[in-house]
Amino acid sequence: MKILNNLLRTGVAALAIATAAGAAHAQTSVPLVESGSSLLYPLFNLWVPSYTATHPGADITTTSTGSGAGIAQSIKGLVQIGASDAYLSDAMVKAHPEMLSIPLAISSQAVNYNLPGVTNLKLSGPILAGIYEGKITKWNDAAIAAANPGVALPDHVIIPIHRVDGSGDTFIFSQYLAFSDAGWAASEHYGTSISWPAVSTAIGANGNSGMVTAAAANPYSIAYIGVSFADQAAKAGLGQAALLDKHGEYVLPTAETIGNAASSVAASTPADERISIVFTPGENAYPIVNYEYAIVSSKQPAPAIGSAIRDFLGWALSDGNNMSFMSKVHFLPLPAAVKALSQAQVDKIQ
Amino acid sequence: MKFRPFRVSVLLLSLLIPAALVAVVFFLVAYSGQAILFNGLHFMTQISWNLGDLYSDPVTVNGISVPPGANYGILVFIAGTLASSGLAILIAVPLSVGAAIFLAEAVPHRIRPALSMLVELVAVVPSVVFGLWGITVLIPLIGRYLSPSGNGYGLLAASVVLALMITPIIASTLYDALLQVPKENRESAFALGATHFEVVAKAMLPMVRTTLIGGIVLALGRALGETMAVLMVSGGGINILPTSLFSPISTIASFIVSQLDSAESDPTNMSVRTLSEIALVLFLITLAVNATAKLLSSGALNVRKRQS
Repeated sequence: MKILNNLLRTGVAALAIATAAGAAHAQTSVPLVESGSSLLYPLFNLWVPSYTATHPGADITTTSTGSGAGIAQSIKGLVQIGASDAYLSDAMVKAHPEMLSIPLAISSQAVNYNLPGVTNLKLSGPILAGIYEGKITKWNDAAIAAANPGVALPDHVIIPIHRVDGSGDTFIFSQYLAFSDAGWAASEHYGTSISWPAVSTAIGANGNSGMVTAAAANPYSIAYIGVSFADQAAKAGLGQAALLDKHGEYVLPTAETIGNAASSVAASTPADERISIVFTPGENAYPIVNYEYAIVSSKQPAPAIGSAIRDFLGWALSDGNNMSFMSKVHFLPLPAAVKALSQAQVDKIQ
Repeated sequence: MKFRPFRVSVLLLSLLIPAALVAVVFFLVAYSGQAILFNGLHFMTQISWNLGDLYSDPVTVNGISVPPGANYGILVFIAGTLASSGLAILIAVPLSVGAAIFLAEAVPHRIRPALSMLVELVAVVPSVVFGLWGITVLIPLIGRYLSPSGNGYGLLAASVVLALMITPIIASTLYDALLQVPKENRESAFALGATHFEVVAKAMLPMVRTTLIGGIVLALGRALGETMAVLMVSGGGINILPTSLFSPISTIASFIVSQLDSAESDPTNMSVRTLSEIALVLFLITLAVNATAKLLSSGALNVRKRQS
């Protein structure tokens, strides 16, 4: 659905701005529009009603258009808050120094497999890179067998499934491969859409729901699926792989291991908070974890808009970072140190 | 000369449509200009597509700033578009000719309007619905019974979904034309002792040839430009040319949509410009298809045949 929304994004955003502008004439409130990541969209939809209930006059419209669109529209000033699974690149910051990348929550991703008879699979970045590069083609490959002693691996071709649409999930998955496998780093890099190597058995699927369907329909397949679809993946009978972390342990995605990853980078997060928390050095830390960002310009056209954004994002970082919101979308709250950094960035918005 | 307000206003209104077309082409060419310079001609013949590393500093190639590693080749998508649309037409034409003849000749008069309305209804079903049907019904079927690897996503799935989407377009245009065939032709063929099949095949179908081609062109236009349904079932092939019916493919239209969001985070904007260039290619392909069909249906190619 993200793609469809993407097509409509200009129209939707324009409509939202138009209706919001109409409302602004009636009241004194400042209309805000949020647009971007389809992963953050459900969280914003939980936040906004609670926020408006306690802050009368607040007027916030949310739209799900995709991280890239959120970034682009926020830079152009079409929306006030761009939601993104990825932080702004150095080149983007150089071109638009007024743009801030502000973490709001912590998300993660599972590597799921459809492997009849196997329920406890262990995988590493180099193995996954080999599978997606077409160098490891069979499930009983020596590299997979070495990581899974005692597991009866089938002699069957692997079907790697990737996203066809641009996605924050592709961003963090390819980051895990790039950070743990030098070959992948040199040839495929990382990004929200990457140049997938030519593998004749590979499938591209549209959206996280498409990933779940494709993995369920294809025995012997492997897929990376965002945490918000963990329930659907489990219902479809897909297994969750334990992934090799930087410390040398195989870890499953749980609140504890994801929290470990987040707290291990909390101290080293820079003031502009543009840092990856994929494959962090912490102990027992799940390797595919990321900050979910609000992309906001620090120079708003009017002081009233700036203060409205500051109020809302400040609330999102305090009351909004409550587990009662986060657990509904399988996110985790930010560590206290990161919250403070995010608040400092929010305070810069004028 | 007298000033005719009606004439002038109608003229202006009718000019709006070609003006919009010209504006679209002009925008595409102007916006993709830099991409055309950067990509050159091998753009069309190269297999590998890479947006480049959007998170590193851009590099300058021949005076144009692009993400490092950026390399745009669209042969895979051209091949996917032509293969899926061509195959869809091959499946849809016999189906729709059969359906149209059935409606016009074999169905009792009383239920004919209801049935023909049903066919037309299929034509307005949103493409997402076809895509969902493809994912939940068609792909498991192909995977279980046809595909050697067990994977149902790919060229065949995309073609079948497209074929179903365009069959009602061809069928309903052809059905309308069959009803227009003069009664005299039909009845005199019967009077000459022709069987029902011969009447349809020899007296009626030749008269609606032009309409059939027109319907096919209309259908091909929809198939070439279809985005959502194809994206959901095509398997999103990239960097690899299809080798069989079960190979994953991407079509130009679906590929543009799938890449747009990432392209927007490209600091050099070259990705979006290149996507515009791809759109231009799709436009030219559609134009070529239409021109060929016009030529076919006007009989320009027939004249030569008769002379030889």
